[in-house]
Amino acid sequence: MTTTLIALFTTPIDLTGPQRFLLMLPLCLSVALVYKTLRMEDVRAIPAASLILWATIVLAMCAVGVGLWAVFSILV
Amino acid sequence: MVHVPAEQANNPAFKEHAPHAAAYAPRNSILTGPIAGFLAWLVPGLGHLYLGHRVRGLICLVTITATFWTGVAIGGVQGTVDPHDRTLWFMAQLCTGGNTLAAYGLHRAVEPRTNEPSVVSQRSAALLAHWLSSDVGVHYTGVAGLLNLLVILDALGRADAPRPARRRRDHLPGDA
Repeated sequence: MTTTLIALFTTPIDLTGPQRFLLMLPLCLSVALVYKTLRMEDVRAIPAASLILWATIVLAMCAVGVGLWAVFSILV
Repeated sequence: MVHVPAEQANNPAFKEHAPHAAAYAPRNSILTGPIAGFLAWLVPGLGHLYLGHRVRGLICLVTITATFWTGVAIGGVQGTVDPHDRTLWFMAQLCTGGNTLAAYGLHRAVEPRTNEPSVVSQRSAALLAHWLSSDVGVHYTGVAGLLNLLVILDALGRADAPRPARRRRDHLPGDA
């Protein structure tokens, strides 16, 4: 049990393929959740505000990625 | 919320006659801020829990701890928490004090205790094969550390404010 637990944190996961970009989603969610937890006065409003911020971050990053890809495609 | 001295806030006569007496809370001592900051550094969210903001503290505790250890699980502790090869990232990770110290302890425990070239090159080859995982893991743990820096600063700021009144904890805005 302990060996398995240690191996979970000592053996890297082999990331391949474009699905690795999906790992952005939980990271953005944690950023949005912590930020809104600190900013919102009413704790009951945290979940909705976090989801909105999370969607905003993800869409903005996708837009920036598409924009950079377009610029790269034009220049190269 | 109105600030009143602790002696006055705890006085039964004051509570009886002052309107909304339950909303009054005593001022914190001069050590409350440093203690809350240190606890927030040691364990994410613990500073808020100490200050009485239970929901905020629990959300920060679960979110930042899960983010940090998810990063370690993705990149492996040797490629993720490495003060020699990733010094700046390690400084960011250090903002989640307890988590980083535990991960670095694990790093030291599993590190081969030899400078034998074959062992070192074997380890380097293994890390190089997983460079993408290590990068993602470093980003996860570094972001967790920087988020905890925000949490520490927020705990220091809230330490100056009166503690949430216990009886009206769930009704006061901002009191979790």
